[in-house]
Amino acid sequence: MAMAIAAGHRRYELWDPMPDEVREGARRFATVQALNELVGVLPFAEWLDRAPSHTRRQMLMAKIQDEVGHGHVAARVAEDLGMPRERILQDYLDGRAKVHNIFHYSFATWEELGPGLLLMNSAAIIQFQSLMKGVYLPYARALRKIEREESFHYQHALDLTHEVLTHGDAEQRRRVREGFELWLPRVLAYLGPPDTDTLHANRMWLIGLKPDGNDALRQAWLNKIIPVFLKLGVHVDPALVRQAPSGEWEFAMPDWAEVKKVIAGGGPASQRRLDWVRNALDRNTRYRRALRGVS
Amino acid sequence: MPHVPTDPDVYEVFAQNGLGKTLGHVGSIVSPCPDAAWHLAKETYGRRDDLATLWVVRRADMTVSGGDDGDLLAAKTRMPHRQPGFPTARRRDRSAAASSPAAVILPTAAVPPAAVAPPATAPPATAALPATAASPATVAPPRFRDSAPPERRDDARGAGGSELSDLWLLLADDLFVLGNRLGERIVDYIDLEESLAVGSIGQEALAHAGTILVLSGFDQPAADAWFFDRPQGRWRVSRAIERLTDWPSTVACGLVIAAAVTVLAERTVAVEPGEGWLPAITAVRDEQLVHLDHWRRWARALAAFPETRAEFARAYAEVTERAGDMFGARPQGGSALAVTLHERFAALVGENGGPGSRMPDRPLARTAGVGGSALAYCLSRGRMVRDDYAPGVFQ
Repeated sequence: MAMAIAAGHRRYELWDPMPDEVREGARRFATVQALNELVGVLPFAEWLDRAPSHTRRQMLMAKIQDEVGHGHVAARVAEDLGMPRERILQDYLDGRAKVHNIFHYSFATWEELGPGLLLMNSAAIIQFQSLMKGVYLPYARALRKIEREESFHYQHALDLTHEVLTHGDAEQRRRVREGFELWLPRVLAYLGPPDTDTLHANRMWLIGLKPDGNDALRQAWLNKIIPVFLKLGVHVDPALVRQAPSGEWEFAMPDWAEVKKVIAGGGPASQRRLDWVRNALDRNTRYRRALRGVS
Repeated sequence: MPHVPTDPDVYEVFAQNGLGKTLGHVGSIVSPCPDAAWHLAKETYGRRDDLATLWVVRRADMTVSGGDDGDLLAAKTRMPHRQPGFPTARRRDRSAAASSPAAVILPTAAVPPAAVAPPATAPPATAALPATAASPATVAPPRFRDSAPPERRDDARGAGGSELSDLWLLLADDLFVLGNRLGERIVDYIDLEESLAVGSIGQEALAHAGTILVLSGFDQPAADAWFFDRPQGRWRVSRAIERLTDWPSTVACGLVIAAAVTVLAERTVAVEPGEGWLPAITAVRDEQLVHLDHWRRWARALAAFPETRAEFARAYAEVTERAGDMFGARPQGGSALAVTLHERFAALVGENGGPGSRMPDRPLARTAGVGGSALAYCLSRGRMVRDDYAPGVFQ
């Protein structure tokens, strides 16, 4: 039974009658999230075997497991709405589905990993806190679990960054700062193109699956994360981002044509990601069939 | 262990008092059929409330935890690195230690490639390695073990005898390499549920390796030096590690290592080990038994499926043959203890329901420097970042 809520939207459980647009939109959101979790974990997974201590390796492995777990719970939501999980990665390989711009890059250094993760995790938290207000409740519950674990990852990223800034040498600390400047514009773009003027015509907003606009989320994110970097002692170049007297954050606008090109597969690690997924599926399909072929 | 209850007419009831609230267990009812059960549940648990959701589940269709599953369910306590506050506590402890006059950061470069001997009193068992600088009890630098052969080393440390202790250190190495390999498998996407399973088994393998070192008296810098700074020529992993490559071999390696750790844990518990060992090794044994079940399920599946049967039979034969050195701590490989452990190990491996094992009749000696490309890759990758930093930076 769908129930009315104050904002005027009804909220739905899996078995509730719901408009096709809501069902299709929820399926699309969950599918996109599952794909981005499963492919988006690869840039971090590449560094697991280089994690330089026993404890750090455990922490990083736990994060990687969590991210795949996020892909799993999102895929379960999508499956219940009619999207077979096999198709999620297959559509990506076939070019029918894309991943966010930030997952088309790799981390070049260990020092880049901390600030990159910190920027990404904090942006994801802001985004998930918004999406969990959406009208499809199984997805909202999945996001609540995911968002909680992203908070753990945020703390891990903070610890990783802090360790290098506190105990690393001058060159290593410089690379942390460079990592921040490299990843800030990418994560600004990850939150999507400006939409303040168009949000209220967006169908996903109208049906209650996208409660907040990209610009609002970007402001909320900058409000949270820039003070964190300042407290860590990272210089924040005002040419990249600065706070106006009104409190609003001003930033160098991403080159959206470039972002579009990256998302279409033109990023430095785009092909590498596709190759990894293709090889993994090719290598392991018969084992998956074996698992399912035997009770 | 988790079990399936058998009360056929009992239904467990789950209700949600409003959208946005949690669906929770509210009780149970007895009903002759599912349809009636739902209505009975509504009258029993919802007659004074506006429920948003009501579910009934036949108790016999549920798999539920038992009273002795508490340790398996205690994810936070047995895996401290998964706790939300772990990174913050780490930073706080490190800052406090840095400002303490007693603080000692061991220079990693000064750790010799030989094994590290523990302090005389082993610290309490925990899966978390104690940081030297943060733990007053372990601030003193550890004694360094000389490079004498194992039988001449100082008698250790509470496992119930030096041979048992040496075997634990050898299995810690196997667990460390296996844990790392399973970590890579998380994103191999054999199946999403399997990704999560190998993620947990991999973390537990690393945690067990760390626990063994803690029990053996290592503190955190010494443990990191043990795992990250020893040259390959000083490792004495089982030769099974050389086959830690494709998925069928990984399944076989996982199975033999879980079986070996289980056997050694059973023996250690039986000989009334020193303080700290019993609860830690009991927990290790219980978790490795779960791993063993996992790998056995896979072994049966791969052995039964036509497309994978021959491939798995080949991998299993090679791995079990190489795993004959699991309990070969001594150069001659055939002490009475080793023979006893090996016989139990061979029996446990033989119970998997898959293809035939090629386990040798008697234990073979482990040799230094084996491990092949699997170990070489693990070690070289592990040093890439570490070697760029000053000693003591990473904890």
